[in-house]
Amino acid sequence: MEIPFIVNARKDTGLFNSKVGIWLFLASEVTLFGGLFSGYLFLRLYADYPWPERALPVLPGLINTFILIGSSVTVVFAWAALKMREWRKFQIYMWITLICAVLFLGLKAVEYNAKFHHQGVRLSSEGSVQDFAYLEGHVHYAKLDENGKMVEVSKEDKKANPEGVFSANKIIFKASELTFALKRPAHEAYVKEILAQAGDEHKITLIGDYRVPNAEELLAGGKNRAQLESSEAALVVADGAKLSIDDLDDMEEAFLDARAHDKSIRTEFLRASWSWIRDEKGIEEISNLVITTDLWKERMAEDSEKIKPLMLSAPGTVTYKIEPALTLVWDPDDIPKLAKTEIKLRDDTVVKGELQPSPMLLGVDAIDFRHTAMRAEEEGIDPLEAIKQSWVLTHKNSKGENDLKKAWECHQAWLANLTKKLDEMSDKKGLEGEDRFVPTENDKYRVNWDQMVAYQKLDFDVEAVAAASADGSLQRSGLFDLSGFAGANHNNYKFPHVEIPRENVGFTSTFTPKWNTYYAIYFTITGLHGLHVIGGALVLGYYLFFGRKMYDSNPEWLANRVEVGGLFWHFVDLVWIFLFPILYLM
Amino acid sequence: MADSVEEIKKAKKLYLVIFGALLVGTVLTVAVATIPALDVGGHGFDGKDAVLGLIIASVKATLVMLIFMHLNHEKPLIYFFYGLGIVMAFFCMWLIGWSKSDPIQYGNSEKADGFYNPEKPASNVHGHD
Repeated sequence: MEIPFIVNARKDTGLFNSKVGIWLFLASEVTLFGGLFSGYLFLRLYADYPWPERALPVLPGLINTFILIGSSVTVVFAWAALKMREWRKFQIYMWITLICAVLFLGLKAVEYNAKFHHQGVRLSSEGSVQDFAYLEGHVHYAKLDENGKMVEVSKEDKKANPEGVFSANKIIFKASELTFALKRPAHEAYVKEILAQAGDEHKITLIGDYRVPNAEELLAGGKNRAQLESSEAALVVADGAKLSIDDLDDMEEAFLDARAHDKSIRTEFLRASWSWIRDEKGIEEISNLVITTDLWKERMAEDSEKIKPLMLSAPGTVTYKIEPALTLVWDPDDIPKLAKTEIKLRDDTVVKGELQPSPMLLGVDAIDFRHTAMRAEEEGIDPLEAIKQSWVLTHKNSKGENDLKKAWECHQAWLANLTKKLDEMSDKKGLEGEDRFVPTENDKYRVNWDQMVAYQKLDFDVEAVAAASADGSLQRSGLFDLSGFAGANHNNYKFPHVEIPRENVGFTSTFTPKWNTYYAIYFTITGLHGLHVIGGALVLGYYLFFGRKMYDSNPEWLANRVEVGGLFWHFVDLVWIFLFPILYLM
Repeated sequence: MADSVEEIKKAKKLYLVIFGALLVGTVLTVAVATIPALDVGGHGFDGKDAVLGLIIASVKATLVMLIFMHLNHEKPLIYFFYGLGIVMAFFCMWLIGWSKSDPIQYGNSEKADGFYNPEKPASNVHGHD
């Protein structure tokens, strides 16, 4: 069957059919990305935290812009080559387009990878001011020593002997007792983890029998509760049983069956009570008014007494003891509730024991007080006074030093010089009031990674920084500095190392959507755009690798196909033309 | 649309000119954002920088649409489709402005959790809020 209007235009539209199709599709794409850009606008305008302005390294974005623009030209040249029946040239241009697509995705992967390994921490301090300072950097490595204490491991040692090494953002908890909530039957992953960490040296055993009265024995009557519970049929798992997923499954099943039994008993009684009161008062009067009367309340109290002996009342929790106490290493995300003697896991399992020192070991490449300053200003406090109380400036390391405080003092020297220069510029231009040049919030409250490097090069010497700032010799990473291509590079630079006590770690995440709404929308839009690049490359690649047969039989059809694929490719370029300035430069 | 060999040869020259213009536009965007001497408005990023950046991006996008996507000589139906998409995109942005009148989200500026409280120390000492 011949497909109509694949080469020649329809009379009514003046277009070949696939062109109508691609433009309809592109119109829907404009709306889709329009919606996402609107989402970006919404998140930025209403952000309740300082928006990460110009937060991305520009160079990878700039190169990717060149790559996409270049590929837009080559794809249109490929189409032109087909129109002129130059197969060889078509192949060359299409190959270049595909190479551009691969390069674009490769660079994006480099950028994503840098973000997946970059850690952010929002601090939390005890005291009158809640801190809200952010530290950014890379988490270092640690392991447990023979006493179960956390000790740092260097990168080299980790490479040589990776066993037991973890990234030093963990909760270390010496556990002596585990209590599982049977109403949440989702313990498998945790139990496996606990058993793996316990090995053969630690015994984890059930405290007391887990018994649930047998429903048939109960309903048959003739036995009191003590007899029912001590009956052989009631035993589910015996005292002293080793922790196992199978046992937990059995107990969970027994508990859930018992709970279903209890519910059905309650429902039966309730149904009977409703029938009774309907007969007593008539259907018209059964309303909220009726059930609040003493008559109903008395009936409910009577029912309650009658129900009790018919219920199985299975215990909702089971407790295991751990001998000797086991030092467990937990991911902070697994522990929604943390206290010194008790932690609660996400499946409601309660672990009793003793919280061990669990500092976060971080190589700090940036300090950000913008949120502290914002919250302080909202409450009418001097931002600098609030900042002074931050853990960043008040802590001391084991040598009694604080590199971050030194960096902050250097930054103040740099800022003083910037302010002076901006004042001079404003005076020179005769600017007054709000028109005068002033440092940005970033300038005032954020020590960026390249500033950290520059200050460190001068040994955090405040006077040297002040002098270098004044004569313009302070070396900050420029746009084309490859050593910081995708941001702070911890292989090229050594950054201040801090141990953040667990109680000061307020919120922590790598630079992924969890960290803030900026990264959420960044990954959403660039991820979707990346998928478009992949999709476009697949279609164009199909024309390149499987188009020869069509070229020989109907070259104009192939040219039309390439034009349609090319239109999609230009659209992908079009989206990036807006994405680049919005995400990288604003 | 360029269909004859002559027209296509002519169009290819135009594509190269547009390629150059797009590169210049990109360099210009980065230059005004990163070189202090070229910064418009106040020091650092502000509204004027945003407007300038978006204007340059819009000019670049227009060039791509008109020349690479051949919208400079396209049929009315295509203008209708594309125009509809753009109208819908702006409609989405208009919705954002509309959301500001939401009294539940933006009507009450009181903060549930105060930042500064001299009486009470911070409770969130173990994180995971």
